[in-house]
Amino acid sequence: MAEAPEQIPGERSARGAGTDSSMGRPPLSIAESVGKGRTLRGDAWRRLRKNRLAVAGLVWVAIMVLLAVSADLWVPRYLGDPVDIDTTQAASQSLQPPSWDHLLGTDRMSRDIASRIIYGARASLLVGAVAVGIMLVIGLVMGAVAAYYGGIWDSIIMRAADIFLAFPYVLFAIVLVGVMGGGSPTNVFLAIGLLGWPGIARIFRGSVLAVRENEYVDAARAMGASTPRILFRHIMPNAIAPLVVYATMSIGVAILAEAALSFLGMGVQPPAPSWGGMLSEARGYLFTAPWLMVYPGIGILTTVLAFVLLGDGLRDALDVRKKE
Amino acid sequence: MVRTRKPALYGIIPALLLTGVLLAMTACGQEPTTSTTAAGGEIQKGGTLVYQIGNPSFIEPTQAFESEGIEIVQAVFDSLVQFDYLTNELAPDVAASWEANEDASVWTFHLSGESTFHNGRKVTAADFKYAWERICDPVNKSNISYHLSAVKGFDEMGEGAATELSGVKAIDDETLEVTLSYGYGDFEYVVGHPCLCPIPKEEVEKDAAAFALKPIGNGPFMVSEPWAASRYVRVVKYPDYKGTQPNIDGVEFKIFEDVETAYLGFQAGSIDSTQIPPGNVNAAKTAYGVSPDGYTSNPGAQVQLGPELAIYYMLLNNEAEPFDDPDVRRAVSLAINRQAICDIVHEGVRKPADSFIPPGVAGYVPEAWAYSKYDVEAAKEHLAKAGYPDGAGFPIIKLSFNSGPGHEDIMTLVQADLKAIGVTAEFDVSDAPTYWDKVQNGNYQIGRSGWGADYPIIDSFVYSNLASTSADNFANYNNPALDEVITAARQIKATDERIKKYEEAVAMAGEDCPVVPITFYAHSRVGSARLHDFVHGGLGMSDFVSCWLEGAAAQ
Amino acid sequence: MLAYIARRVVQMIPVFIGITVILFLIRSPAIVPGDPVRMIVGERAISQALYDQVVKENALDKPLYYQYGRYLTRLVQGDLGDSYQLKRPVTHILFEKLPNTLKLALVALLIETVIGLAAGILSAVKKYSFWDMLVTLSTAILVSVPVFWLGMGLQVLFGVKFKQWGLPYLPVYDMTSRDFSTVVHFIMPGFTLASASMAYAARITRSQLLEVMGQDYMRTAAAKGLSRRDVIWKHGMKNAMIPVVTFLGMDLGAMVGGTILTEMVFNWPGVGLEIYNAIQLRDWPIVTGGVIVIVFMVMIINLIVDISYAFLDPRIRYTKAVK
Repeated sequence: MAEAPEQIPGERSARGAGTDSSMGRPPLSIAESVGKGRTLRGDAWRRLRKNRLAVAGLVWVAIMVLLAVSADLWVPRYLGDPVDIDTTQAASQSLQPPSWDHLLGTDRMSRDIASRIIYGARASLLVGAVAVGIMLVIGLVMGAVAAYYGGIWDSIIMRAADIFLAFPYVLFAIVLVGVMGGGSPTNVFLAIGLLGWPGIARIFRGSVLAVRENEYVDAARAMGASTPRILFRHIMPNAIAPLVVYATMSIGVAILAEAALSFLGMGVQPPAPSWGGMLSEARGYLFTAPWLMVYPGIGILTTVLAFVLLGDGLRDALDVRKKE
Repeated sequence: MVRTRKPALYGIIPALLLTGVLLAMTACGQEPTTSTTAAGGEIQKGGTLVYQIGNPSFIEPTQAFESEGIEIVQAVFDSLVQFDYLTNELAPDVAASWEANEDASVWTFHLSGESTFHNGRKVTAADFKYAWERICDPVNKSNISYHLSAVKGFDEMGEGAATELSGVKAIDDETLEVTLSYGYGDFEYVVGHPCLCPIPKEEVEKDAAAFALKPIGNGPFMVSEPWAASRYVRVVKYPDYKGTQPNIDGVEFKIFEDVETAYLGFQAGSIDSTQIPPGNVNAAKTAYGVSPDGYTSNPGAQVQLGPELAIYYMLLNNEAEPFDDPDVRRAVSLAINRQAICDIVHEGVRKPADSFIPPGVAGYVPEAWAYSKYDVEAAKEHLAKAGYPDGAGFPIIKLSFNSGPGHEDIMTLVQADLKAIGVTAEFDVSDAPTYWDKVQNGNYQIGRSGWGADYPIIDSFVYSNLASTSADNFANYNNPALDEVITAARQIKATDERIKKYEEAVAMAGEDCPVVPITFYAHSRVGSARLHDFVHGGLGMSDFVSCWLEGAAAQ
Repeated sequence: MLAYIARRVVQMIPVFIGITVILFLIRSPAIVPGDPVRMIVGERAISQALYDQVVKENALDKPLYYQYGRYLTRLVQGDLGDSYQLKRPVTHILFEKLPNTLKLALVALLIETVIGLAAGILSAVKKYSFWDMLVTLSTAILVSVPVFWLGMGLQVLFGVKFKQWGLPYLPVYDMTSRDFSTVVHFIMPGFTLASASMAYAARITRSQLLEVMGQDYMRTAAAKGLSRRDVIWKHGMKNAMIPVVTFLGMDLGAMVGGTILTEMVFNWPGVGLEIYNAIQLRDWPIVTGGVIVIVFMVMIINLIVDISYAFLDPRIRYTKAVK
């Protein structure tokens, strides 16, 4: 367990697999490719654009973000409110199949499914962003401390990372939220964030270790730059590529985890819509109202897929994995 | 031992209430030639009925506290008395007769002497004493000891001060005398609870762990192999049973964590009786036909939607503002569109509650609670009277409940209804143990609860939920005048008179509106096309004795 | 070799202790709200004497570190405590379920191996073809699909619709019957559990095979006149397979740990479902005990895989030793 490679939470590591067997080696530093005249960012962007699947992923993520952010402006007016119900009308509007009035049909409580899916996207993306944000903050601090102070700190933090990685991801997320009390968004953010930090910490620690001994860092230190300044001005830029790839993938994983938690009734609190929660409601209607099950599932699948494709594309574009 | 399922009886009792179809059905039991069923109505013997249950925590009577466990206990054990599955009327079982003293505080049961345990030994009065003390012994931490709370010595035993129930005496092998701490005219119903059955001491002492997995009882069925955790409990008919012998050979209680999976199995043809998951009732009605009485499943009339003796209601914390004001409580009660809840959440199966007592319980009076109806204008008037015109100044209320698909939907509708009278309510969802903890500590504003009758008596509803001395009075309702009426009612020995007194109590409480009745429960179950005369009663128990399986013997 | 094994086992100990600390803490009153005595005895009213007895029996009046020591000592002796709800030893309850979880994981591993390898080989051999694209996209979809949604979909399609259409169908419900262990019952849950894993297996197989096929000795073999098929099967596969097999071994551990959602959807009586139900009832001994049992299984499986890999590839031993 001691030296597992960088691992996306919930994803299986290809331990021992030839190309991936970095086995404790830091991921290849981007520093080596700098200085070829063209900018790194420009290079990466060009490569990303050539990858059609990654572009599709990027476009889909952009659409989802746009829908989620703009929802309040138009969704309640044109599609219907995702939460409010008129109980005198509800019975007659319940479980309508897709039609021009309700593009994706209505649920049992007579609410418009398209509207709920868009608001569900908001919940999913929010969880993805916030959880990965928490993951990044904890992971960066831990990784920096481990690499920069080394010694006992390094051992403690890396052992802690091992412990967290030893837990099966989904199982522990469910247990953690179960213990903290389901139904609170903060707990869902925290649980997913808490479980993801070791990966970030390892990547960042590796990057710091790889760059720390470089002359320009010594130079900066000699010129009296403070530790945080060195970290952020000199080390961060070199660590950014693997972190971006990892974080992109992690958003997908976090969205899946949130969907699972909501499906189990431990995630987003009703009546607020969430994709996992909608699927849980749909379980009783697999035959009588299958549209209830289809669309939220497609929502999760496509959004996670978009992040996975984008992450794959970024990995290739940013040249995070070495090509020998 | 009168496990009465004689078809002839049924022609008389429900004839006034039910359609002629039932008469035709009962007739078919007697006259094989005329029949409503395709394959002829003659009762066939044999076969194993596959019956869906949830995952039980316990299947032994000392511990079983959920319906899935109790249903198994009911098949494997016989208590002193029993309730008719269709009419809920009291009938003798292990006890052939019984009587009480003047204020109903001392009861004497005379055992028929016919009942034997599955190990062959005769059931004696001492076996009841042993079983009841096992329930009350604090070491066993049983959740069902409340059934015996009226028995003298109950408190002493619970506190560990006594090792036996001083009120229970086995006078001789066939006479059981029970002394209560107070007069309780309904006690004869209490002892009909399936879990208050006798237990063979020798088997428990031999191996208590084995008994928990394979209880040895005195009922029509015996457990044939130890309970396979999460998978099944199998019972076969007990050949030496002295009561009515079952037609079928046995029952497989198949354990399902969720009804949806079970229903898939039913549709695929491997289950004989299951609950219908929410959302499938209307489709099931079309596909399988509706049982005319709601309780009996026969081919072509397989969907059982009969009312149960249970009520779903909302708790209002009567002790804390703003619900300490009766007008606020009335406003909430009047604001709720119960019909919408029934139609949307329960697919029309359940009915709007118009009283705190469900129909089917003796003492139910239609529209006994005047505020238990939907009238937005009246709700607004009461709210204004309480000082909150159109909800102005009304605090934001927390709507607490335990997570669960049905509760969420009901609370969503309640939330919308409250909004219509200007009251803003926010959800406060937690898992069941946390939720009940809040409710028990009075740490809530609006909550939810459901109450099902353990025995078909009105006291079960009135005392438990509304008397200030009851531990289950989660609404913290305190009305000394009502307490007096309930205490008086409990001591009346004559059943009719007693019920009259309870009706008075219900009417008194209705004026105060301490809780908000929402719906009367009804089950939604379906039987297979080979299953005949299968009754699932209003107390939530299935009758495995009189049903039969078509073509099962040939298999 | 023995030194390597010993080192790996010693490395496991702090991780395992760390896990027990976390699991101990999350069930302690410091984290979980509510009165622990209430959780143990349930809702019924109890006397003060009984209350005190429960406190004493469970050492609830002692400081946290003492309670942890007591917990760890018992754990090492194989005592996970009694379930609050079922009032039986947690180990009994879990060991009834563990075989079902392990069986499911093994079947999933088999499915993963067959489908993952086949897809990986196909896409490597026909690199950049339609098939390669199809495999690439399918693997991306398989890692993105929520398993519970996949499970529901499979049940509807192969369990019910196929039967309605008169096609051969799969049982979706009969997990609890006597013929529980028949192969057909495992197909859908096994596929669902294996879904993400088979995608990874395919990707790794593909990249391994492509890498090996680029090696000099492969070109030499081709130059010597061996057919392409022989080159791939005789030389390519052998060399590409070691990392793939290692991945599969590790993945068995991941699979054992990942059954909870699959068990939920298929009503599969395993440890994951038991843990989920126990969470609903706040039965902490089962929850934490279940997690410990699963984590322990995962660690043991990984250890075995590590050791056998080190046995096959001596370089691993030495790298570690040097470090």
